[in-house]
Amino acid sequence: MTNLIKENKLLDAVTTAFKIKGKVIRGRRVEVFADKNTVSSILLFAKKQLGYIHLAHMTCVDWIEQREFEMIYTIYSPVEKITLFVKTRIDRENPVMENIDTIWDQANTYEREMREMFGIEFPGLIGEHDFLLEDWDQIPPMRKEFDTHKYAAQTFFSRPGREDAKDVRDEISKRSGTAVPDFAKKYSRES
Amino acid sequence: MIREKETTLYLGPQHPGITGNMMVKLKVQGDTVVSASTHVGYLHRAFEKLIERRNWIQAFTLLCRFCVPEPDPMELTYARAVEELDNREVPERAKYIRVIVMELARMQSFLLWYAGQSGSSGLYLTPQWSVGDRNYILDLFEDLTGGRIYHMYIWPGGVRRDIPEGWADKVLRTMDYIEKRLDEYNKILFDNTIFQKRAQGVGIVPKDKAIEWGVVGPVLRGTGIKSDVRIDEPYEVYDKIDFDVPTQEGGDIWARALVRKEEVRQSIRIIRQAITDMPEGAYYNKVSNPMKWTVPAGQAWAKTESVRGEIGFHVTSDGGNKPYRVHVKGAAYTHGVTVLEKILPGQNIADVSFILNSLGVCPPEIER
Repeated sequence: MTNLIKENKLLDAVTTAFKIKGKVIRGRRVEVFADKNTVSSILLFAKKQLGYIHLAHMTCVDWIEQREFEMIYTIYSPVEKITLFVKTRIDRENPVMENIDTIWDQANTYEREMREMFGIEFPGLIGEHDFLLEDWDQIPPMRKEFDTHKYAAQTFFSRPGREDAKDVRDEISKRSGTAVPDFAKKYSRES
Repeated sequence: MIREKETTLYLGPQHPGITGNMMVKLKVQGDTVVSASTHVGYLHRAFEKLIERRNWIQAFTLLCRFCVPEPDPMELTYARAVEELDNREVPERAKYIRVIVMELARMQSFLLWYAGQSGSSGLYLTPQWSVGDRNYILDLFEDLTGGRIYHMYIWPGGVRRDIPEGWADKVLRTMDYIEKRLDEYNKILFDNTIFQKRAQGVGIVPKDKAIEWGVVGPVLRGTGIKSDVRIDEPYEVYDKIDFDVPTQEGGDIWARALVRKEEVRQSIRIIRQAITDMPEGAYYNKVSNPMKWTVPAGQAWAKTESVRGEIGFHVTSDGGNKPYRVHVKGAAYTHGVTVLEKILPGQNIADVSFILNSLGVCPPEIER
């Protein structure tokens, strides 16, 4: 497409240099899929050679069924005004990822957050372990298997008189003797 | 020179000079900061985790609470990310309404910043004025959405309801009033020698390091770099509206203050144009049953220019009726940690909260 010239040029530059796959998602959005060991090289290449100097975002998605973490690095070029996503998958059982805070200082904050929230190790990462959580002895809480309901029930106690924590609609219907209207049933907790 | 003893000082989590529940651990020699480190965790509410348990629409009740002074940019950014995943068109009228809401949000947030910035320099008249004037804008929000601070008004597909009768005129009258007040604000704050002396040359963000450190918004524009999501990657109808993006050289608190001062005038200009140009028609591309709505699998990244800079949402859907993962990046995430830790060494203790206000550090946005 003629109006995606800059995007295709970027995609070609990255995929050819590293022999990886990628695609143009739409105007101003390009993504590439890399092996975890080449991510830092791609980021450095994009930053130094292509002008993608702004690390806009870094995130992790827990694909529990595939037993993988997806790492997404979002970088942006203020000149081209294009966002490039560098995506990779890492093993969920032994999550180790390259530390990129030598490329962008601000990556340190994201990596410290991911270390606590997903349990991903970044060798060489400087910074205290208790960044967001204090004295946390459970599994990293942003992992999909962490059940917030169960944790809250086990850890915190209810206010006196509120121990039952019943569904309000069911309780109202029991006390009033009126059945829960059908439209309300589908929104109740049990359904 | 006598080397003074190094002392550790904790600014926060409860401190009149801090911008929310966070702590800055300062190592000081005399009055001078030697090193600083940000400690958050006093406010972690697991919003991102809780969103994974709610459906696409219910997520709005949490989203707007990420950062109290700026609920609307959060709603809009999330809505735009979901619209991209769902390929949902937004009616033209809704786009104009969204622009008006965003600029009113910018203005109320500016007035709150104004209070914080002048209050932290010891000038207590300005906060009284600006918080009072902010209420006129909150009145407009109340008329439009029913809520003063949190609105949950912008939804995927448009806005929740059309503007009420006479509201546009009320907005224009309020803009006239605010415009007049800005001249008076200049006299008490920007023309004030005390404020000028406190702000000039303090809290400098170097231009060559700014982008690398993740600096965005007015702080970046205060270093002379012209960067604004509304211009760089226009969303809604910003490409049809005529406005300027002010920049200043210097990178200090004074430069950032001047940028913000001019920005709010541009907001008034944008609102007037949007009200004049707004077409009639539909305001909401309705989602048939929001409680059972599923969004096609995929990932989307949307960003919006808030008063403190770029806000980005990375939204992942697995095709279900709930977001699979939502990750939020606000300006404070970098400003409050990396940037703050780098610019505080060498500053006076009295300037720390002044700098915090100037960078727009909003602690709940760091830990969410």
